[in-house]
Amino acid sequence: MKLAIDETRCKGCNLCTKVCPYHIFQAGKKPNKKGIVLPELDRPERCANCRLQYLYGRTLCGVCQLTCPDQAIHWVDEEPYEPMKVAIEY
Amino acid sequence: MSYEDWFRKDRLPHIFCAGCGNGTIINCTLAAIEQMDWKKDDTVFVSGIGCSSRASGYIITDSLHTTHGRAIAFATGVKMANPNLNVVVFTGDGDLAAIGGNHFIHACRRNIDITVVCMNNQIYGMTGGQGSPTTPKGCLSSTTPYGCVESPFDLSELAIAAGANYVSRWTSYHVKELEKAIKTGFETPGFSFIEALVQCPTAFGRRNKFKQVSDQIEYMKAHSLLKAKYDRLVESGEPVPTDMFIVGELAHRKRPVMGAKP
Repeated sequence: MKLAIDETRCKGCNLCTKVCPYHIFQAGKKPNKKGIVLPELDRPERCANCRLQYLYGRTLCGVCQLTCPDQAIHWVDEEPYEPMKVAIEY
Repeated sequence: MSYEDWFRKDRLPHIFCAGCGNGTIINCTLAAIEQMDWKKDDTVFVSGIGCSSRASGYIITDSLHTTHGRAIAFATGVKMANPNLNVVVFTGDGDLAAIGGNHFIHACRRNIDITVVCMNNQIYGMTGGQGSPTTPKGCLSSTTPYGCVESPFDLSELAIAAGANYVSRWTSYHVKELEKAIKTGFETPGFSFIEALVQCPTAFGRRNKFKQVSDQIEYMKAHSLLKAKYDRLVESGEPVPTDMFIVGELAHRKRPVMGAKP
């Protein structure tokens, strides 16, 4: 699983940058073609829910998804054989 | 399977302003419903008039968008006609406290088996930021340009005094706690009232020194006082901070219920 932001729904309120415990969401810089500055994902492979959702069979943290007022944050399945990065934090 | 299935996806994105907390409360309500094993055919969402009351239009169940302040009156009718339905009311502070206050206290008195989620943004957001019964003292709005001089309504205290079975208050910052509170409200027979304080960046925040959406979230985070801590302060005789509001489960009791499932 990987994090994804729905560009058609996000209104750029940047609430997700406040709530993520890993600070994965960072305030963006460039406006998109609708004039909305989408947040950027900083090393989204650190998200616990992405890695462990299937193992535990439930949504683990999910605070960004609950907090997003525009229902723009969701998790999508990866393509088969997609290159994956693993981030280890000490 | 997640609560995303409960949205009318063709209606999204919704018309709420960027950063409006109403969407967060819809998410929490649907996440709680998802754990309840309710069918979409047996669930009815009722709402009145206002920003918050547009919420029922984005949910793919039977929904009623009723006249101003009369959401609880319509919900009472739905529940009395068919007690097997699960009735959830979305309402705002202007809808519930100002024009629908009478319906609210009498629904609490009768203890009807419905759940009311009140999105309290402390202002009339849709009509241009007029002061509502819950606007805090000293806050600016378009009808109180020198600061509100009236004492605000405490909706949770009102619901407890009128006799609701379950009352709790959270903010749009406390999403997980709010989800649990709404779930407990669904499980409790009788009138369940969940007050959710939400941010209103367009009408309330920009007049009251919250330039960014996150400023108001930080304010709600810093000025919420847990019920358990409040009880401890009162017990030990220490002064309770006056600028803070109490969050948590405020009442959970077993009064006789009207319209419970047979």
